Amino acid sequence: MLAAGLLWAAAAPADSVIERGRYLAAAGGCVSCHTEDRDDATPWAGGRALATPFGTFYSPNITPDRDTGIGAWTEAQFVTALREGRSPNGAAYFPAFPYPAYAGMEVEDARAIYAYLMSLAPVSRANQSHSLPWYLKMRLAARGWQWLFFRPQPFVADATRDADWNRGAYLVRHLGHCGECHTPRRALGALRAGEEMAGNPVGPEDRKVPNITPDEKDGIGDWSLSDIELFLEIGMLPDGDFAGAGMGQVIDDNTSQLTPADRHAIAVYLKALPPRPNPR
Amino acid sequence: MRRIISSAVLFLLAATSVAQAATPEDSIKYRKAVMETMAGHIAAITMIFSGKIDAQAYLLSHAEALAAAGDEVGKLFPAGSGVGKTEALPLIWQETERFQKDADAAKAATAQLRDAIKSGDKAAIGKALKPVGDSCKGCHDRYRQED
Repeated sequence: MLAAGLLWAAAAPADSVIERGRYLAAAGGCVSCHTEDRDDATPWAGGRALATPFGTFYSPNITPDRDTGIGAWTEAQFVTALREGRSPNGAAYFPAFPYPAYAGMEVEDARAIYAYLMSLAPVSRANQSHSLPWYLKMRLAARGWQWLFFRPQPFVADATRDADWNRGAYLVRHLGHCGECHTPRRALGALRAGEEMAGNPVGPEDRKVPNITPDEKDGIGDWSLSDIELFLEIGMLPDGDFAGAGMGQVIDDNTSQLTPADRHAIAVYLKALPPRPNPR
Repeated sequence: MRRIISSAVLFLLAATSVAQAATPEDSIKYRKAVMETMAGHIAAITMIFSGKIDAQAYLLSHAEALAAAGDEVGKLFPAGSGVGKTEALPLIWQETERFQKDADAAKAATAQLRDAIKSGDKAAIGKALKPVGDSCKGCHDRYRQED
């Protein structure tokens, strides 16, 4: 299936690469962070404040504007930024940009996203610098963080699992970077690998993020596959309540845009996670 | 005779409840109760519509109840009911105009779903479900503190 996908991408005219990139960018949730949180904000032009325990980050403009956006970037530079967390001038990014998750993205997928972003209208909007404590102000701090915690690894399909699980793993762990909010972090912000999707008491914007492992007590053990699929499509919880608090936007920008097959794959992957209690 | 007395009692109850404004605590409790009935009816509608539950005969009554509550949403947030045991964010009372517009959208969306269900047109019902969800989700995202 993967080989067929690559062949199709290589043989297809640019329009379908752009279309594929549009889909993958939705699955990557890019626009949610790269758009200011205002009703009249221009999508993709950046400026959204992301309050974290480490300071407030402002997302950059990723429209193809040459001066304020990424219009002067080559495809290779874009792929490096996504998968290795390095800017074109070699500086390390802070992991508020979820490249630790994107590191597992297929190169072809990163290229398609580049093609899509380059097809957008350039918007001139200067980036705002992050508001960080003094000890994080140097980009060297991000380099140090990478040295300590960042081990980029490509996605490797698990042959013991079926295609749905593997597709779900790719979407949840890498493109969708669900763990960035749903997995608890260590003191320096690295994800606690052994507690994947167990919830995060101090998520983005200081909001508590729920446990989405199949744990009966703390997680979503009583949700069926179709409950999860419907939630990802329209945002309804099994009791009829509707998600808000950031997830509403993830549903609008990301999961509701996916194919039913991809939502099913995500549900299959989540249901197959080991049940875990909430982190203490 | 008994009937006359109980009517009189009901009337008295009605009269006293009209006479005094609700306390913030009661407004909050009432708001939660109405919101929870909305959730219950949407869950029921979704389960019947998706064929998980065979209760077609009750689909419309759930939709009627949902639309009735949808009509009320904009009135569930009286001034002063933003403090105490509530997840309602202060923003509701800081941008009342925008909030009321969102509440009107909830009213319109739930009314439309009821009309679609009345018509029995499956495609129309499917289409009408989305704005209801969008309206719930949009308001919760902006105006509800979750944890």
